[in-house]
Amino acid sequence: MIKHQRQPKPAVAQRRPVRVRGGLPRAARFSACRPCFVPAKQLVRCLALFLVLGPWLSPGLGSSFAATVTDAADPLPWAAAGLDAEAAAAHLLDRFAFGPRPGDVEAVVALGHEAWLDQQLRGIDDPVLDARLAKLPSVDMPLPRMISRYPADAVVRRMMERDGVALPSVDDPGMTAVKAEQALRQAIRAYARERRLRPISQLVGELYTQKLARAVMAENQLREVLVDFWFNHFNVSVRDTEVRPYVVSYERDAIRPHVLGHFRDLLEATARHPAMLFYLDNAQSGAEPGMPRSFDLDAYRWRLQRRRIVRQQGTSEAIYDADATWAARPKEDRRPRGLNENYARELLELHTLGVEGGYSEDDVIEVARAFTGWSVVPPAGAYGEPFGKALDRLLSLPGSQFVRDGLFLFRADLHDSGEKSVLGQLIPEGGGIEDGEAVIDLLVQHPSTARHIARKLAIRFVQDEPPEALVAALAQAYLENDGSLSAMMRTLARSPHFWADSARRRKIKSPFELAASALRGIRAEVGFAMPLMRRLARLGQDVYAYPAPSGFPDRADAWVSSGALLGRMNLGLDLVAGHVPGIQIDLGALDDGPEPESILAALDRYARVLLPGRDIASTVESLRPLATDPAVVARVAQEAAALQDLAERTLDTHDFEVSTRADGSRPAPPSPVITRVVGLILGSPEFQRR
Amino acid sequence: MKSMTKHPKWMNRRAFLKAGGLALVTLGTGPAFLQRAARAAQEPTALGRRKVLVTIFQRGAMDGLAAVAPVGAEEQLAKLRPRLGMSAAQGAGDEALIDLGVGFGLHPALAPLVPLWKAGQLGIVHAVGSPDPTRSHFDAQDFMETGTPGRKGTPDGWLNRVAGKLGHDATPFRAMALTPTLPRSLYGPEPAMAVADLREFHVQSPAMGAVDAGRGFEALYAEASANLLRDTARETFEATRTLEQLDVSKYRAAPEARYPSGPLARSLRQIAFLIKSNIGLEVAFAESGGWDTHVLQGSANGSFARRAADLSSAIAAFWTDLGTHRDDVVVLTMTEFGRTAFENGSGGTDHGHGSCLFVLGRDVLGGKVHGEFPGLARDALFEGRDLAITTDFRSVFAEVASRHLGVADDATLFPGWEGNRLPLWRPA
Repeated sequence: MIKHQRQPKPAVAQRRPVRVRGGLPRAARFSACRPCFVPAKQLVRCLALFLVLGPWLSPGLGSSFAATVTDAADPLPWAAAGLDAEAAAAHLLDRFAFGPRPGDVEAVVALGHEAWLDQQLRGIDDPVLDARLAKLPSVDMPLPRMISRYPADAVVRRMMERDGVALPSVDDPGMTAVKAEQALRQAIRAYARERRLRPISQLVGELYTQKLARAVMAENQLREVLVDFWFNHFNVSVRDTEVRPYVVSYERDAIRPHVLGHFRDLLEATARHPAMLFYLDNAQSGAEPGMPRSFDLDAYRWRLQRRRIVRQQGTSEAIYDADATWAARPKEDRRPRGLNENYARELLELHTLGVEGGYSEDDVIEVARAFTGWSVVPPAGAYGEPFGKALDRLLSLPGSQFVRDGLFLFRADLHDSGEKSVLGQLIPEGGGIEDGEAVIDLLVQHPSTARHIARKLAIRFVQDEPPEALVAALAQAYLENDGSLSAMMRTLARSPHFWADSARRRKIKSPFELAASALRGIRAEVGFAMPLMRRLARLGQDVYAYPAPSGFPDRADAWVSSGALLGRMNLGLDLVAGHVPGIQIDLGALDDGPEPESILAALDRYARVLLPGRDIASTVESLRPLATDPAVVARVAQEAAALQDLAERTLDTHDFEVSTRADGSRPAPPSPVITRVVGLILGSPEFQRR
Repeated sequence: MKSMTKHPKWMNRRAFLKAGGLALVTLGTGPAFLQRAARAAQEPTALGRRKVLVTIFQRGAMDGLAAVAPVGAEEQLAKLRPRLGMSAAQGAGDEALIDLGVGFGLHPALAPLVPLWKAGQLGIVHAVGSPDPTRSHFDAQDFMETGTPGRKGTPDGWLNRVAGKLGHDATPFRAMALTPTLPRSLYGPEPAMAVADLREFHVQSPAMGAVDAGRGFEALYAEASANLLRDTARETFEATRTLEQLDVSKYRAAPEARYPSGPLARSLRQIAFLIKSNIGLEVAFAESGGWDTHVLQGSANGSFARRAADLSSAIAAFWTDLGTHRDDVVVLTMTEFGRTAFENGSGGTDHGHGSCLFVLGRDVLGGKVHGEFPGLARDALFEGRDLAITTDFRSVFAEVASRHLGVADDATLFPGWEGNRLPLWRPA
C-alpha cells in the first residue's frame, strides 16, 4: 500500500484565533474575508478559496500535534496493561476498526501497533474498495445532479402534471380504484425511465450498500468507524422525506472529509448542509416580524419596479402614484416565517456544549437569531420559489450580503441583523452570515464543547461509563490542538484507560457493528445491503433513520433487550446459512486447513479465527456438552452425507442460494459442522462484545 | 439510566393466578418470571388485573373529514370536494354516509364500527391534532409520538414514559409493538419490544435445526461473564418458552371475530392473543399505513375507503375476539394530521391540519363526538385551507392514560404542556 503524502503546511497558514468585533475570537481565515462590506461575489470567491485551501490551511493531519501530544514512535501502553501483542492488536481492531478479519491480528502485530494506528490516522490507498464503490453511481455524483437524477415519486408526478401528461383516473372507463393506482405507478415509472430518472429508493439503497461495503472492506477502518460515530453525533434521518435526497451527500461531503480533521470544519460543514438545514428546520427560520433584516427584499423589488416605471412612463405623476402605493403597503411580512429554534437548540445541546454545558434558554434564542437566513438554494422552478431568476443578481449585488456555497444559501432577506448576545459575548448589529460564523467560533473554543465531545468519544471507544481522567485528557487534547480530532484519537490510543481490563470487551456491539464484524470475520462480500439493514432495524438500529437528533444511544442496555438478543442470535445463524440476500459467503474458504475432525475441533479452530486474541476457553467449554452429544454428532454426520449427495446431484444446475466466487467457481456447500460452529460463535456472548 | 449490572425488573400480577384464557402457568412449574409473579400476586398489596392500552397509529395522515363528515354541511363539502364529498341524505345510495344522528356521518367503509358506537363504547374526537403547524409527516409523527409538538430533541416516546409510570414491575411483554421496528412512541429507557410476528420469537436456524442452536446459545449465555447479556438471555429464553407453550401458531380467534387480511389485523390478532394469555402486556402499539391519499382518494370506493374498511373491520374483529377481556382494554387511534378541506387536482387531498380519532372502551363515553367542531367556512379553516384544531391531542392522550391506566402525571407524559384533559370517560 502506498501512503498518502502529506502536503507541507505553509508557514503563514497558522490558524491563530484573532480578535475582531465585539471581542469575538475568530479564526484567521474568516478575518481574511473582512472588512465588513465585501461584495457578495468576492466573499463567495473568498469562501471558495478557503474550501480549496482548507486542507492545507488546517494544521495537517498529525503534524502539529505529533510534537506536543506524543511522538508517533512511542509504544502504545498495552504491555503495561498486561496484554500480549495479539490481544492488543485484537483490541485495537475491535475499537478502531469494525473487528478483525481472519489474519488481521497477525498483520497488525507484524506491522507494529503504532505504525498501524499511524496508517489509520493518515489514510492509505484502497484500490479494492474504490473498484467496489465505482459500481455505485451515486458515490461520486455531484449533489445537484443527484437531486435531479433520483426524484421522489411525488416529484415525478408533479413534473407529469406540469407537462400536462394525462394521469390515469378511476373515472376512466373500466378502471377500478386498485387498477387506477397501479396504472398511475406504472405511468410514473415509465415517465421517469424515459427521462433517465431513477427512483429515490435506489439512491437510498446505494447509501446503505456503500456504508456496509466500506465497513466490511475498507482498509481505512478508523475512518469508517469515525464516519459512523460523527454521522450519529450530527444525526439526520433518511425517513424525513425532505432530508432523504441529501443524506448521501451529507455523509460524503459534510462528515467524511472532516472526521480526522478539525471539529470546526466538521461543525461548519454540517451547519451548511441542506440535510441538516432541512432536518432541524433552519432552512425555514427567519427573523421574527418587526426585526431588522440584513436585506429588504421587498424594497429591492420595489426599486426595480420603480426604475421600470420611470423608464416606461417617465411621468412624475406615475412615479408619485407608485411611491404612494409603496408607502401605503401593508407593513406586516407577506411571508410570515418567524424564528425556528430547533437547530439552535440541538447545536448547543447535542452538537457542541452538551446539555449541562452552561447555556440558557436565552442563548438558544440568540443563537437561533444568529443563524436566521442559513438556508438552501431553492430548486429551479420550485413552488413558492422566492427569487425567480433574481438570485444570481442578488448574489452579485454589492452589499446584499447574500452568500451561496453549493446548495447552501445565506438569505440576507431572512437574516435578523439586530444585535445578539450569545454566552455573554456580544454580536454587534448589522452582521450577515458572519453572525452564525461567530457563534460557531465561540462554540468550538468552549471548554464545554471539548468535554462533551471528549466524553462521547470515550463512551464510543472505551466504555459506557468512562473514567473522568480520560475525559479530561481528551478534552485537553482538543483544546491544545485547535480542535484536532486526530489528536483526540491518538490521545485515546495512548491512554492507559483504553487498554485497561475494565475497558476491554466491555462495549456491546451495536447491531451494525455486530453485522460488520461478523461479515469481516467470515470474509463475506457485500452485494447489496438493504435486506441486512432491514434485519438490523429489527434489532433496534434502523441505520440512517434514527428519528431524534440525538442519534442512537451508545450504551449496552440500548441494544440488549429480549427481542433484540434473540434477533442477534438468529442473524448469525441466517448469515451462515446464506439466508441474508445480498451477502455472499464462502465458509469453506475461511481457512485452508483440512475438514475438522469433530465438532469440538471445529469449535476450537473457528473460535480462534473469529475471536482472535481472546480467551476462548469458556466459549468452547460451554458448548462441549452439545458438541459431544452423540445424538448431535449423528445428526451432523447424516446432514453431511445428505449434503454431499445433493452436491453431486446438483453439480451443474444453478442454485441461487449458493453464491459464486469471484473467479466464477462455485464454493462447496459448507459442511454442517462449520455452519453449526460458526453460527453459534457469531451469536455467542463473546462475539456480541468488543 | 441503567448500568450494565442492573438486573431487569420483574413483575407481579394477580392475573397469573387466575389462569384464565390461555395461561398455562401453575405454581412450581413454568418460567421463573411467571412463578415470581404468581408468588408476588399472593401478597396482600398486589393489585388486581391490569389494564391494557392498545394504540393504533394511522401513518400518512387520515382525512378526518372523509372518515367523519359533518352532516348538514354537504353543500359546503360538495363545493370544496366535488369528487370526494358524500351525503347522509336518504336515497344517496352507495355514496351515503352513515348518519350517526349527532350532526356527523360516518364513512360507509367504517360501518363495522357502528355497533360499537351504538353500544356506547366508541367515542370520536373531532378537530383534534397537534398545535404545531407542520405539514411534514416525519415531523408531525415525531411530535405526536414524543408528545412534544414543535420540539425535536425529546429523546423518548410518550408510551415509554407511560410504561415508566405504571408503578409496578414488568414482564418482557409489558410494552410491545407488533411492528417490524420499534416505533418512536416506545423509544426510551423502559424495556419495550418490537415483534412483527410472534411465531418468529424463538431461535430459528435454517442450517442446523433450531433445537441444537437454541441449546447451544442457552449454554453459551448461561456462562456469559457480562451480567446484562446473561440475565437478558435468561429472560429471553424463558419468554420464548412461554410463547412456545402458549403456541401462537395454534391460536384461534373467537369464531365470531372476522379479522381481515393485512398487517393491522395481523398485529391486532396477536395483541388479542397476548392479552388473553395474561403474560403482562399493558401498552401495545400497532400501525396502519397508506393514509397519505394525495391521489385518487375516492369517495365510497377508492383508496381511502379501502384503508377505512381495513381499519374498522380489524378493530371490530379485535374487539369481538377479546371477549370478556374487553373490560381491561382501551383502543386509541391517532394520526399525525388531517388533510386539506378541498380536494387537489389529482382527485386526492394534501397535507392539512386537524383530523379525528377514535377511543374505544367499556367505560368510554361513547356514542358521542367529543370536542368542538369549528366548521368548514373559509374563515374557520386553518390557514384558509384545513380543518382547524380545537382539541390538542395531548388532552386526549392524557385523559386515556389517567382514566384507563391510572397514570395521571401529565407533566411527565407531556413535558411543557399546560392544557387540560378532555373528559372522555363515563362518570363512575
